[in-house]
Amino acid sequence: MRIVHYINQFFGGIGGEEKAGHRPEVRQGPVGPGMALTQALAGSGEIVATVICGDSWFNENLEEASRTVLDLISQYSPDLVIAGPAFNAGRYGMACGAVAEVVSKRLNIPVVSGMYKENPGLEVYRKHAWVVETGDSAASMRTAVPAIAAMVKRLASGQEPEPGTYLERGIRLNYFEAERGSKRAVEMLVRKLSEQPFTTEYPMPAFDRVAPNPPVRDLSKAKIALVTSGGIVPKGNPDRIESSSASKFGKYFLGDRDDLTSETHQTAHGGYDPTYANADADRVLPLDVMRQLEREGVIGKLHDYWYATVGNGTSVANAKAYAAAIAQDLVSHAVDAVILTST
Amino acid sequence: MDMENQRRVKEFAEQYPKEDLVVILGGAEAEASGLAAETVSNGDPAWAGPLAGVPLGLKAFHIFEPEIKDQVDPGVYEAQVSLMEMVLDMDAIISEVSSIRNQYATW
Repeated sequence: MRIVHYINQFFGGIGGEEKAGHRPEVRQGPVGPGMALTQALAGSGEIVATVICGDSWFNENLEEASRTVLDLISQYSPDLVIAGPAFNAGRYGMACGAVAEVVSKRLNIPVVSGMYKENPGLEVYRKHAWVVETGDSAASMRTAVPAIAAMVKRLASGQEPEPGTYLERGIRLNYFEAERGSKRAVEMLVRKLSEQPFTTEYPMPAFDRVAPNPPVRDLSKAKIALVTSGGIVPKGNPDRIESSSASKFGKYFLGDRDDLTSETHQTAHGGYDPTYANADADRVLPLDVMRQLEREGVIGKLHDYWYATVGNGTSVANAKAYAAAIAQDLVSHAVDAVILTST
Repeated sequence: MDMENQRRVKEFAEQYPKEDLVVILGGAEAEASGLAAETVSNGDPAWAGPLAGVPLGLKAFHIFEPEIKDQVDPGVYEAQVSLMEMVLDMDAIISEVSSIRNQYATW
């Protein structure tokens, strides 16, 4: 089995953070962790080449990086690609995930990776790779390598990896169950009420909790911004923000506008009845009230822009990325506080 | 162990006979000290630095270990190290570093 290995600048021996801008390159044979994988594979696969790219360069040039890395990989006609392991390195995990997506889609071959369960790369790209669970730092390389090698050997023998040996991919499969859903749900509830153990058929995602910031000291001097996940956009939705699983957010100019109307604004959100938001978008993005508070001197000033995305089905990882970008813009405009409105 | 230190240790191991070299560690906890000891004996366990796949087999001791401590001027040890003996988990550090040394050091 021919294998191409994708690693970052650190594991490629090029350098740490100061070399994270390193452009993609390819080397013959195994490099760094690839040497350990070669030993662990014990002849059941050969790493014919190693593609190395700096984490920052990959993430800042996502499309070009994916294309370039794919070209470098495909010239070796591999049967399988190993990406990482990335442990809990966020940008490395995102790069490994993006490589997994482009390789599995274009070359139609399996990709094996290793990540810590909270790596954001897993959240975004989990369905494109067989990802074994690792510890959160490279100190767990010694357990990650045999686990990845075992996964590769299994795929090389033409078998699907067994559930439990990889991190859930979020792919649903149909099957026939003897008892209907309502009966199973009631049985589960009865077990729960009688404090007996039960196994859910659909685990809910676990969300982190954010500690609140200190209160605003003097609202009458504060610059306040409006940010919404309720999808309020200028009429016609100029940025084409998706009605579900939004891939972006928009930043829009308020100027001296003091009201949103059905002629000028609408919602792009597809997760609630838009009738009342479309009739009067102030119901979701309360511009009219904010102007009133501004005139009354309750707040110092309303920020000249509002920011909007659609929260409907949008992944936590994407929402966090939009929030980070919006927050940076707010800070650069000396905004003191934000009113977040949802739906 | 960072890449620069791995490179230096590797250069010394090429420059001097390995049986004459001892690496003295000052890590503040057991796992990091053990990883450093492993790096200079069995190779970089993260497989990232110049010692990836390079088992030098060097002996590494933590400064807390009696083999090293007893050779240091007591006044100097008292001034430089004793305070840390009180705040760090000495036993765990010594047990980790010595077990790695016994496992991988060949010189």
